[in-house]
Amino acid sequence: MMSSELSSSKPQTQIPKWLVWCFATASFIGFLDATYLTVKHYLGTPITCSVFADCEKVTSSQYAVIGGIPVALLGACYYLFIFILVIAYVDTKKDHILYAIARITPVGFLASLWFIYLQLFVIQAICLYCIFSAFTSTILFGLGIILLKFKDKALI
Amino acid sequence: MNENYQNLTKQERRELRRQEKEQFVKGLQHKRLTKRVLLWLVVVIVIGGAVWGMVRLGTGGESSQPSSLVDTASLLDWSKGDKEGKVILVEYSDFQCPACGTYYPFVKQLVQEYSNKIKFVYRHFPLPNHRNARSAAEAAEAAGKQEKFWEMHDILFENQREWSERIGAKEIFEKYAKTLELDLERFKTDLALKEIKEKVENNYQSGIKSGVNATPSFFLNGKKIQNPRSYDEFRIIIEQASNTNS
Repeated sequence: MMSSELSSSKPQTQIPKWLVWCFATASFIGFLDATYLTVKHYLGTPITCSVFADCEKVTSSQYAVIGGIPVALLGACYYLFIFILVIAYVDTKKDHILYAIARITPVGFLASLWFIYLQLFVIQAICLYCIFSAFTSTILFGLGIILLKFKDKALI
Repeated sequence: MNENYQNLTKQERRELRRQEKEQFVKGLQHKRLTKRVLLWLVVVIVIGGAVWGMVRLGTGGESSQPSSLVDTASLLDWSKGDKEGKVILVEYSDFQCPACGTYYPFVKQLVQEYSNKIKFVYRHFPLPNHRNARSAAEAAEAAGKQEKFWEMHDILFENQREWSERIGAKEIFEKYAKTLELDLERFKTDLALKEIKEKVENNYQSGIKSGVNATPSFFLNGKKIQNPRSYDEFRIIIEQASNTNS
């Protein structure tokens, strides 16, 4: 009975710790970035125009808000959701939570591709914070692929 | 413990072992529960701290080194308000910058409200990544040759979206010149003057010397200030400067 109690808390397959840490770190950094932009949207001064980037043009464009909700807030919720799921995995060690994350990450990746396209070809301005967010969501997507490949290997 | 076991009957020993096992499992469960509570507590604190940090960072304005204005206001500058005012507000601005467009009504209202207290100076800082910023600055300077700098300044900001990304923005500027009843031929000739191009470039270089790397950048009595978040915050800053100087 005791051994079954203990074994139930063990992972079903041995997912490398670095992968879990990478998921947690990337989603947390993405959350910080998107939260900063959300704060700027609601409370901050207009992001100034600089020699290096043209953030204000992007964040004040019609594409920065969907149905009255700033895209940055949606991004912050997305990253927070992933971060909470990673912690839930750390807590319960249930592999299917991580696999669920891996299946969610294409959403963020595709959204990022769309926003990069908008910045480059429609708005014709680059917001470094948005590029950074695209970078983190791409990393999450990459980690998701690695995880799913790992799962396939484990099944074989 | 073994002695205790020896003095017990078989059934009692079994019961004792069962109790020990139960206690062990309970202890494990308790330990695990404490770990879980601690983990989620840390997560809540970390997320709360992150949000708080971002709110502080986001509402604190753009991070910038405190810097001073190298070239003080002179007769060469475009200024309005109280020409002898003790409170001098210098703005480095770009007609094509949306943030400058956001601050434009604040500054205009501020200068009207404190017209007997502050001297407002406008300097060009056309960012290289803004396609029409420099030509807009030159258009304002050309209008200035006919004493209508501020009128052109206003019309450029108020219609920023119309010309910002247009390839033929010069034609739009000529349309504004007509609206302002300028001598159009003279306006066109002045636009090509070396003197005007140099004035815009000199403004830009003076901004670089004062550490300007983004627009709008405001200097109040020679000191760079954090961009205010609202009109009221702007008023408070001006009031404080005015009280300090009086």
